[in-house]
Amino acid sequence: MSAAASSRSAPDATPAYYPGCSLDGLGKAYEVSSQQVLRHLGLSLERIVDYNCCGATEVKNLSQDVSLALPARNLALARSMGRSQVVAACNGCVYSLARANDSVRETATRDRINSLLARGGAPSYDGAASVQHVLEFIYQRAGPGRVRSAVRRPLAGLVIAPYYGCLYTRPKRYTGVGTTPGTDDPEHPHFLDELLVACGAKVVTDYSAKTICCGGGHALSDLEVSVAFSASVLNEARRAGADLVATICPLGQINIENHLDRIRSSYGDEVVRPVAYFTQLMSLAFGSSLREARLSDNFSRPDLFLRSRGFA
Amino acid sequence: MPIVEPSLVEVQRTERLDLEGIDVSGDWNTFLRSRVAVDLDVKILDWVKGHPQGDTISRCWQCGTCTAGCCMHTDYGLQEFNPRYFIYLAQIGYEEELRRYADTVWRCVSCNKCVERCPKGVKVEEVVHTIGSYLIASGLAPESPADRFDRAYTENLLRHGILDEADLFRTYERLEGRKTPARQILRMGLTLLRSGRLHTGPFAHRARRWAQMRSVLRAQLARDARCPAPTGAADRTVAAEGGGVR
Repeated sequence: MSAAASSRSAPDATPAYYPGCSLDGLGKAYEVSSQQVLRHLGLSLERIVDYNCCGATEVKNLSQDVSLALPARNLALARSMGRSQVVAACNGCVYSLARANDSVRETATRDRINSLLARGGAPSYDGAASVQHVLEFIYQRAGPGRVRSAVRRPLAGLVIAPYYGCLYTRPKRYTGVGTTPGTDDPEHPHFLDELLVACGAKVVTDYSAKTICCGGGHALSDLEVSVAFSASVLNEARRAGADLVATICPLGQINIENHLDRIRSSYGDEVVRPVAYFTQLMSLAFGSSLREARLSDNFSRPDLFLRSRGFA
Repeated sequence: MPIVEPSLVEVQRTERLDLEGIDVSGDWNTFLRSRVAVDLDVKILDWVKGHPQGDTISRCWQCGTCTAGCCMHTDYGLQEFNPRYFIYLAQIGYEEELRRYADTVWRCVSCNKCVERCPKGVKVEEVVHTIGSYLIASGLAPESPADRFDRAYTENLLRHGILDEADLFRTYERLEGRKTPARQILRMGLTLLRSGRLHTGPFAHRARRWAQMRSVLRAQLARDARCPAPTGAADRTVAAEGGGVR
């Protein structure tokens, strides 16, 4: 049994919340709308105040130990808050926090990382915090049933493509998804589908780009590739008949939106779809206005589209 | 590609050779152009195995599941991006062939489907990056755009503990000598400013109590950057003239 699995046995009433750089930066709309959704569902999370960035998939290519110490410091801070569960909203954060967890199961590695943490003035990490994506947290704690009863304004008439991206479940050896009871399916995830349906939307089920990579890791360093993958996310949504793409990852959201001009000029206007965080759409269904859900923050302007569909 | 095993037939120079009374002395076997690579070197495998992210390479039994699902190989359609083959070349130590992929290996986007699906628990994505590091450390590959980005990203992150996204964008554009049209920058900047998201430069977010951690992690980064170059790696050659043709 993985460490992730064993430490999930005792859930915190209020798990620690790791925002990461995106939720306090470009992904502000994700942060605000997540809080709205949690409030409507009667769920709460407590922010790790002194957090630092997780290092995503970049730092590990330069230094193994730095790439483990960065997430481990956050996990250690969560432990010193008395928590054994950490919820993050970014796929990249979930990946690197879970990867650190997997690595520190080895005593030698844990000692090495803890020595770095100690010298840097941070508490040491015992390896006992489990990591969860906010989508999984909402699904497990509230589920489609409670979401349905919180809906004030159903997303009727909207056809949505649920885009999970690459690192929500992957790899399961780090995230524990698929091997831990109550988690999503790593090859065919469906939690987002179910939550959006519970909000009254129609979800395209044959969306082949569901779990593909958006190329966000190489958003700037390999434009050709990241534009092509971002275009696929939108184009497959179009082919499946969706008018909107829902994301669960700020890297994906920002990468796709950053490439919109390039996608338009290489693949044509008809490929482009507005892209919104799933929490923005849920918050809208729970009664928030377009402005409150910060739907005009997104470069792809889902607010304009939603207004044309009668949402205010 | 050539046959990867020691050559059994060698060029032979004979001063005097009689066969049943006929003088057949001269240079023998010169018309047999060797198709065999002889200089395989396990040092590559040792180097990758010795790297903290490369140790799972020895579990690979070459089933190809990684490559079958690889988004660079299948979705993007870059046929020469073949993680199974990169691993194979590192396993047998066939450097001459491996270096042909110097400008390909770095393009892995880290989607981790290979790690997810590997039936043998190979951390393919990390092993492939380690093979990329080997190529750079032994002087066989130039630094790639992704390497430059990783460095800019890490330096940016360590400064305040929290990424300054706008600064990273500016720094990296400068590194690559690229310029996003001013109109686009202005439009994005305005949208960010209007929505209170322009946290850059003096307004950047900072992790609290970070100074001490920063100096510890910077020191560690510098130690790991001095990753030892494989000895004599660049001098080794493959005997076969036709080597490297796939």
